[in-house]
Amino acid sequence: MPQTTLKTLAILNTKAPYSSTAGKDALDIALIFGSFEQPVALFFQGEGVRQLISGQDGSMINVKDYLKTFAAFEFYDIEEIYVCQTSLAQRGLVDDFHIDGVQVLNRQDFAQKLTAQQTILRF
Amino acid sequence: MKKLAVMITTPPYSNLSVTALDYIKSALNSDIELIGVFFYQDGVLHANANVQIASDEFQAIAHWQKLHQKYKLPLHLCITAAEKRGMSAEDEKSINTIFTVSGLGELVELTTKADRMVQF
Repeated sequence: MPQTTLKTLAILNTKAPYSSTAGKDALDIALIFGSFEQPVALFFQGEGVRQLISGQDGSMINVKDYLKTFAAFEFYDIEEIYVCQTSLAQRGLVDDFHIDGVQVLNRQDFAQKLTAQQTILRF
Repeated sequence: MKKLAVMITTPPYSNLSVTALDYIKSALNSDIELIGVFFYQDGVLHANANVQIASDEFQAIAHWQKLHQKYKLPLHLCITAAEKRGMSAEDEKSINTIFTVSGLGELVELTTKADRMVQF
């Protein structure tokens, strides 16, 4: 990579896991940036928070269970994973996630973390 | 000169394509260097040679063609997303010739080189 200081990328996930391929498309970007050793932070907001909830299995409805791959984040040095507390509360969801290291942030902290990144891609 | 990169995730029949093209043209007219456009998700349909938009609707491809000719603008196509949508690197006729067959690695390259990456 030609740059001297590494830029930070935020991937904002806003869609539920199985109704569209948005989550998988976002995951592919996260992993490729990870494999090029570029800093990536993942953000989950709105319906996107459902991608983190444990006990789901897409294969039961014939959808590729890409959520399993979230377990590989640590191998790609993806350690910043943030979820919006308000979005969880609005959906009656609790912080029962299928991966470790997820940070639940209130709306203000979530926004602050998000806008601190140099690039934001939204899925 | 500031460097800009753009990612297109919306299809050619979306009004966001009009916004994206307006944005790109404004950038090019404002001494901003557009280092490349990356097409992902339904955005790859811009490159599908078989897409036909009714003649009284916005012809995104005509605008991409003009920009590509005038500025030699690199138009990168995520081939994995494109294959899901009926295009193939082996079938040259399926992909409009102004597009370059690429992968997500190119997106990393564009994002790291650009001062700003904007998604439509």
